[in-house]
Amino acid sequence: MVNSNVKFLLAIGSKEYSEPTLIVGSLIAKTFKADLCLVYVGEKPKQIFEGRIKLSRDSLAKWEIYHPGIEVLKWAFKYLQNSGYLETTDGNGFNPENIVEEHNKYRLVLQGSFGRDVDLILREGKIIDELRKECFEQEYTLTIIGGSKKRRMAHDLVQYLPTSIFVVQNLDPSKQYKLLLCVDDSKATKSAVRFGATIAKNQGMFVNTITVSKTTLFGKGYRGAAKASSRYLKSQKIPFEQHFITGDPVKTFLDFAGDDHIIVMGDSKQSPLKKFFFGSKPIKTLEKASCPILVVR
Amino acid sequence: MIANLIYWITQKKWLIIATTFGFFLYIIPTPQGLSINGYHTLIIVAVALILIIFEPVPLPAVAFFILFMQVIITDATPNEVASSFMSDAVFFIMGSLMLAVAIVKQGLDKRLALGIIRTTGNKTWRIVAGFTAISAILSSFIGEHTVAAMMMPVGLTLIRNTSKDPSKIIKLSSILLFSIAYGATIGSVGTPSGGGRNVIMLEYWSDFGIGNISYLTWMKYAYPMVILQIPLTVLILWWTFTPEKKTIDTGVRKLVIQVAKSGKMNGKQILSIFLFVLVFIGWIFFGEKIGLGFVALIGVFLYLIFGLVEWSDLNRSTNWGVILLFGATISIGLAMKKTGAAEWLAMGALNTLNSFFHNIDYSRAGIAVILTGVLSNILSSSATIAVVGPIVLNLGGDPVLLGFATAIASAFGYFTVVASPACMIIYSSGMVKTKDFLRAGWKMGIMSVFMLFLVSFFWWPFLQ
Repeated sequence: MVNSNVKFLLAIGSKEYSEPTLIVGSLIAKTFKADLCLVYVGEKPKQIFEGRIKLSRDSLAKWEIYHPGIEVLKWAFKYLQNSGYLETTDGNGFNPENIVEEHNKYRLVLQGSFGRDVDLILREGKIIDELRKECFEQEYTLTIIGGSKKRRMAHDLVQYLPTSIFVVQNLDPSKQYKLLLCVDDSKATKSAVRFGATIAKNQGMFVNTITVSKTTLFGKGYRGAAKASSRYLKSQKIPFEQHFITGDPVKTFLDFAGDDHIIVMGDSKQSPLKKFFFGSKPIKTLEKASCPILVVR
Repeated sequence: MIANLIYWITQKKWLIIATTFGFFLYIIPTPQGLSINGYHTLIIVAVALILIIFEPVPLPAVAFFILFMQVIITDATPNEVASSFMSDAVFFIMGSLMLAVAIVKQGLDKRLALGIIRTTGNKTWRIVAGFTAISAILSSFIGEHTVAAMMMPVGLTLIRNTSKDPSKIIKLSSILLFSIAYGATIGSVGTPSGGGRNVIMLEYWSDFGIGNISYLTWMKYAYPMVILQIPLTVLILWWTFTPEKKTIDTGVRKLVIQVAKSGKMNGKQILSIFLFVLVFIGWIFFGEKIGLGFVALIGVFLYLIFGLVEWSDLNRSTNWGVILLFGATISIGLAMKKTGAAEWLAMGALNTLNSFFHNIDYSRAGIAVILTGVLSNILSSSATIAVVGPIVLNLGGDPVLLGFATAIASAFGYFTVVASPACMIIYSSGMVKTKDFLRAGWKMGIMSVFMLFLVSFFWWPFLQ
């Protein structure tokens, strides 16, 4: 799981709300030795005014006043330096004037070497649309994003982004979290277990694995998946407890997780059409969860 | 594959809705009293409006749609559509967008900042009044987005110099930015060159055989609105965003130091102002004869040959999609007139409103002012005039007065970010929220409608 070719996409929106996302995102990227791409997605002006907004931005740049997104990226870059994610604290690396336009997005070219690859990208448009475009332009393994109150956000993230998704909602960085691994017979469960195990091992987290069946009968697939996950966690010497519970899966995941777990689950095996109309376990869990949640593909 | 298809459908839902709606209208019988060509023209307008508002496709695509559909589903010939596409108003919009680039590029904003601050001093209310007045007066001649682009750095620098923590001066930030946006908006009705929509109305007056209105005549009708609204705008903004600081001494001092470093006005800046004065004189004295658009193009030509702006700059910063769209909307506006669709819509709207007002003059005014004001907040002012203009000019009554009322009301886009370029420019700073536009906008809207009625009842009769 841990290799140097992995790249994570981390979406940030503002200094006010994105700090927990940045803290956890950079920690996980460090865990997986992944390259990180910080992306700020701002609102796109109406097409009818685009040229005039551009003119105004050119005028502002002469006064060294830049796009609000550049301020946010600068803050995030400084955070990565101060937190030790980047190996140098050279403050001159970030220069707002070194911004290059490419394929409907802007890339900040950093000066110097920082020990890790960090990309800083500024995009304008609808968040899901822009993240999706970014994911198709570069190969990312994981997209990390803060929680949102928008009704369709959870659905759209799981439905349309081709990467694994980590939604960092209601995260308190000072709190000790446990990992809740949701194990079922879906193909992605294996990846979820491995992903979760790597995080737990590196961050010293306790793991609860949970297998939920609607009936008292746990099928062969469920039992097999639970057994495989327990074997893997043992092999990694990760402290864990295994739970088999009967009930509604989504409700059980949420009740068990409370607010002191990070939920890790595999993506659903349902077809995109079914997911669109009826949702899926990850979509419904993400919609209702009040804790961070990682959906692994 | 299926996931991509679902995604495409969700992204293009308004395109699907617009085309389905258009097709449904196409297959149902033509309404009584409307020619088949008029009906098909209205279908194109309805579909185009949905596409412009919700933007499921790029704007140039909407422009092309408007043009080719006229040839396909109405009896217009390709050459008729092509010739109605390019007009003096389109040249004016193109020229004014380019002049804006040329002017903003000269760095005159620093001179402007110094001039304002020297006049107003460090009292916040005087700075707000200065920002509003200068934005209004300048925008009446050079267009609101040019002024907003020049004033924004001044406003934002002042805000930054006043406090490092923006949360401590939220209201001060709002009042300064809104004084620029609303100042520029109220000023943009003052002269024909204040905004593309004014020139579109001039174009309609001329094409509909109503008459040619000169630059100075326009000013006589519209400029009192600008003057009257300046102090009221300052009062409304002060009432809505009473700032945390009544003086901004540090901010002003730092700004003066920053601006003073740029030295004296250079030759290029002087030449740039001189050329714009020439363009202005051209608009006043030759606008009627050779067209305001062609005067603007002469101005761009002069800026280019004197090396004040590079073609690459103009090309990069001019939104060609907007030019195509306005060409196409004016073309469909003319088709609405030619096919009788505008008259049919005008009569329908008049009859409906008459049942409420029981007075034909109030009904006409209602359509001209209320409909235009509301549509401007959704569609943008120029596009509103392009679509509503032909309807209003078919309402009966005095088409010149109704045209003025409509053009002026199209600047009442205070409520939403999308109403005017100036509003969008201050919003793009990230320092004002959409709800701020509503907070101040409703007061501005009432004030402007009231002032328009005052001017039209007590001032315009003297001019006839």
